[in-house]
Amino acid sequence: MTTHGGFQPVFCTVVPPHVLDRLARSDDPARSGPARRTLRRDGELRTLRQVTTEFRLAAEPDTRAPSDQPARTIHDAGHRTDLPGAVVRREGEPPGQDATVNRAYSGLGATFDLYLRVYGRHSIDGEGLPLVATVHYDEQYDNAFWNGEQMVFGDGDGEVFLDFTLPLDVIGHELTHGVTQHTANLTYYGQSGALNESVSDVFGSLIKQYALGQTAAEADWLIGAGLLAPGVTGSALRSMKAPGTAYDDDVLGKDPQPATMAGYVRTGRDNGGVHINSGIPNHAFYLAAAALGGHAWEKAGQIWYDVLTGGELAERALFADFAGLTVKAARERYGDGGDEFEAVRKAWEQVGVRIL
Amino acid sequence: MRIQVRRTGGFAGIERRGEVETSGRPDAAEWHALAERAVASGPGTPPAGVPDGFSYRITVDDRTVYCADPRLTEDQRTLVSRVLKEGA
Repeated sequence: MTTHGGFQPVFCTVVPPHVLDRLARSDDPARSGPARRTLRRDGELRTLRQVTTEFRLAAEPDTRAPSDQPARTIHDAGHRTDLPGAVVRREGEPPGQDATVNRAYSGLGATFDLYLRVYGRHSIDGEGLPLVATVHYDEQYDNAFWNGEQMVFGDGDGEVFLDFTLPLDVIGHELTHGVTQHTANLTYYGQSGALNESVSDVFGSLIKQYALGQTAAEADWLIGAGLLAPGVTGSALRSMKAPGTAYDDDVLGKDPQPATMAGYVRTGRDNGGVHINSGIPNHAFYLAAAALGGHAWEKAGQIWYDVLTGGELAERALFADFAGLTVKAARERYGDGGDEFEAVRKAWEQVGVRIL
Repeated sequence: MRIQVRRTGGFAGIERRGEVETSGRPDAAEWHALAERAVASGPGTPPAGVPDGFSYRITVDDRTVYCADPRLTEDQRTLVSRVLKEGA
């Protein structure tokens, strides 16, 4: 952590909050007591107490098979920036008055469902990891992010951006960053970073399509539809179907995403343009899914999932590496020269990614 | 004192900039103190961020530091928020 110039990162806890949440729900007071006290602590003594808790956890390994039910906890940051914030809804508790909390809870459930029902994956890590989200982060905060352990959502400023829990695909996008971290762990810079972003957009969109029961032809293929405030000229933040067309606004500027390698942007900003060049693999996925028709999560989604979790994708993979593995996965799962193989191969060809 | 903030990244990937020139402002002393505290604790090269997290570059006259969400000090958070709002 030498790059942080000596100051302590505020979120860098020893025991992930979700572990504490799980402990806090335990029936055994020896486990739940310390965890509940830890969750109530504010920042200063947090690390010390969590170290104690971690040793206790290590002595009692959890050997149960992962559940087919999610283990969700929603926290409220109260417009401050301490994570995770106060617990406001645990798994199984009924909806409350706060629509943001309810949306986050439902969105985590929808995401858990797609991964389990379609791909047989138990949560982010495949082993039933509890899902943790914090809402109402900071004041008028125009963002949502994954901090390595949990999802964080801002309320938006109300003038350009609305509440970041509004689009289901944004919730699915953030949670998929967790899936990627636990699988291919694509480095968040340059082309591997754009692939990391694209994988989050792909599965974020699939989570929405699955929840709505849409076919590839029916889906809007937009990321962040409903997030822009009334008056902003745009339909969403990104379009997988037509990258570069999601918005064109006086305040926001114009959607900078390229659809093909001809428009590839070289920049050091935004971690090397991860939110810009993701348009290229996003569009490749759309093209493959559109060519195959039907439900995009069934074939195109399965092929992308196979690559993400197959163990062959390098952390610093380039677009061509990823493309090559999708073609290989299509062949292995659906046969050489089949429709799936051809659709995937042609999709990458159309966006200008040459498969080596 | 000239205070500049550039914010990049974030879920939307949209860049924001702000700049405040404090000379002649009645609250200049307050700005100076805040800016000094904000740049005192930041590295001179961009730190590793988190997925979809904002990255910030803060320039106070000829000094530049970087920081990234969610690892901002309170002073950095206050400064970037004010500069992006008032100096947009």
